[in-house]
Amino acid sequence: MANYLLRRTIQMVLVVFIATLAIFFLLNAAPGGPTSGLNQNGDLRTRLGEAEIARLERSLGLNKPLVLSYAIWLFGEDWVDDLGNLLGHPDLNNQLLFSGTWRDYQSPTCDDAGGTNANSDPGKPAPCNRGIIRWDWGESWSLASGQQVTTVIGSRVSNTVILMASVAVVSLLIAVPIGIISAVRQYSTLDYAVTTFSFFGIAMPVFWFGLLVIIFFGLQFREWGLPYFPTGDVFTVRVLPGSIQDVLGIEPKSFMDRIIHLVLPVSVLTLLYLATWSRFMRGSMLEVLRLDYVRTARSKGVREIVVIVKHAARNALIPLVTIVVFQIPQIFGGAIVTETIFNYPGMGRLFFDALQFNDWPIVMALLFITAILVVIATLIGDVLYTIIDPRIRFE
Amino acid sequence: MTVTQINLDALQEDAQFTTKPESMLKIYWTRLRRHRLATMSLFFLAVLILIVGIGPLIMQNFTYYNVSKGEYLTYTRDTQDLLSRNAAPSSTHPLGTDELGRDILFRLLVAGQLSLVIAFSVTILSETFGTFLGAVSGYYGGWVDSFIQRLVEFIIILPTLPLLLVLSAFFRDFNIEAIPPEWSQAVVLIAILTGLGWTGSCRLSRGMVLSLRNQEFTEASKALGLSDIKIITKHMMPNAIPPIIVNATLNLGLVILAESSLSFLGFGIQQPVATWGNMLQDVQKDMFTAPWKALIPGVMIFITVLAFNYLGDGLRDALDPRLKL
Repeated sequence: MANYLLRRTIQMVLVVFIATLAIFFLLNAAPGGPTSGLNQNGDLRTRLGEAEIARLERSLGLNKPLVLSYAIWLFGEDWVDDLGNLLGHPDLNNQLLFSGTWRDYQSPTCDDAGGTNANSDPGKPAPCNRGIIRWDWGESWSLASGQQVTTVIGSRVSNTVILMASVAVVSLLIAVPIGIISAVRQYSTLDYAVTTFSFFGIAMPVFWFGLLVIIFFGLQFREWGLPYFPTGDVFTVRVLPGSIQDVLGIEPKSFMDRIIHLVLPVSVLTLLYLATWSRFMRGSMLEVLRLDYVRTARSKGVREIVVIVKHAARNALIPLVTIVVFQIPQIFGGAIVTETIFNYPGMGRLFFDALQFNDWPIVMALLFITAILVVIATLIGDVLYTIIDPRIRFE
Repeated sequence: MTVTQINLDALQEDAQFTTKPESMLKIYWTRLRRHRLATMSLFFLAVLILIVGIGPLIMQNFTYYNVSKGEYLTYTRDTQDLLSRNAAPSSTHPLGTDELGRDILFRLLVAGQLSLVIAFSVTILSETFGTFLGAVSGYYGGWVDSFIQRLVEFIIILPTLPLLLVLSAFFRDFNIEAIPPEWSQAVVLIAILTGLGWTGSCRLSRGMVLSLRNQEFTEASKALGLSDIKIITKHMMPNAIPPIIVNATLNLGLVILAESSLSFLGFGIQQPVATWGNMLQDVQKDMFTAPWKALIPGVMIFITVLAFNYLGDGLRDALDPRLKL
């Protein structure tokens, strides 16, 4: 087992490395970028010139070849200068494989906590990039310009964990009974009813369903004079008359205020998860109910409810555990569409916004975190399989 | 000494004829019919494909009075009528018009064609490719297996929606000269969704082939001198079909949803080409004045995906070999 874990860990590192490499190249190959559109401003006086755009690109490190940019993202920038001096500055005929000489990419002042580049603004406050491997996640380009990526992510991650953990708990609490009921009463009206209920969430595009929910419980309720729900954010600044906080007497920024804000997004996401998990539970339950030991228990005269809950359901639950483990990345990564629709300040919306604003340091950081969480969750899932089913062995 | 010439192909055909009993289909059909909602869904989907397929062909022969142009025009996808924007359903526009005065019913039918073509192409391509690679992976084992499985893991690791966003932003202006622009946009989307979607069926078919590899009929085929590729395509892949069909049916619904989410976020198929997903773009601002604009395409997606899910559910029960009648 130790041997297996070691081999898997090495493979995990390799897979994450290749994945980030692929994503980094993909992001940089995509058209546009933070400086696109700067030279298209309608007003001549505010339009940036060629030189100004080139200066911006240098300050963001966009002028470097891709391989070097990736190396800087991963290992930091302080070695680039030394490496450049080591290689010397060849003339035009003896240039390196990729365009230009090292001089353009060097950052001589980097070690003195100057700018990130020789020609960049010397007053730039940020110290030299030390690379993601040395826990320097860089700083945001456009979304929260100048702020550390870790600060930006740190302000969002708790919101997402609260949201997604509630979703996981609520969905499990509903999905397991639904799965059991529809397996025990297969093809009954009850089965069709709960099946339809559990398919409800995955049969609708989540953005459309979210919009309908917002319009109905937020805007329509307000029109009808019913206590309406907040449709975005995590806290209320000021309680409006007629809203649900007003009716229930909830203080702004209190614990209950947060719960009220969670109601709509959690409901939408729960319906989404419910379908997969309850179908899985149903399938697994149907399988277990056909096994011999269940028949034995029944023939011994054990009451049906005990057979179902104690003998069958407990064993049927086991495979579900591995499915739930695969959701770990989502608990931190959030739900992109739902968070965007509900204007919920979590990781999912951060990703969407960062992509919209071409804020690559944030996008890369989020994808890096997700990739790591995915491989870890896969490993946990695989190890859990061996614990649950001793017939599966990994050498 | 005379060596009797064995007609391999004839033997194979015989073998296939006898190992593919027609009655199995009947058994599956009887089992599927026990799932009443699945049967209903099957009929609904057949009717839907028929309507979407021939509806526009019939409808384009009819004319309506275009207020802004002041003349009678035939129904088309893009013809605007700026003087009857967001018009409520009426006899001229059975499902109303959108913000540019385009007929929603006609757009809905054309959009249905594109959405369904995308769903079926992605599913057929990714399931075939995945099944083949999975069969190769399981049949050969060793480093081929390791390589394909690591590749699968790598693709699973790539975060789906973010990657879709980046890729479709990258290919947004991609155009194939020979085909109309809406189909070249669709080709890009199909390629992206296929490239990310084959991993599930690959794992499924690998599992099936691993158990089939050592059975007698495989050895018999080898002894008869059948090539590896023929064993994989003629004996391995057909045997892995039942779970793949279930997977494919559920996948059809997922592809429709993925396409609509992408189009809604502005990364999918662009206007004026219509899909059910991009008909929902920007509908929220007219939700109260023109609710049909948001409700109708959404409801179409909802019932279609629901039908695919019921059908997949029924097929899973019907094709389960452990289920006794």
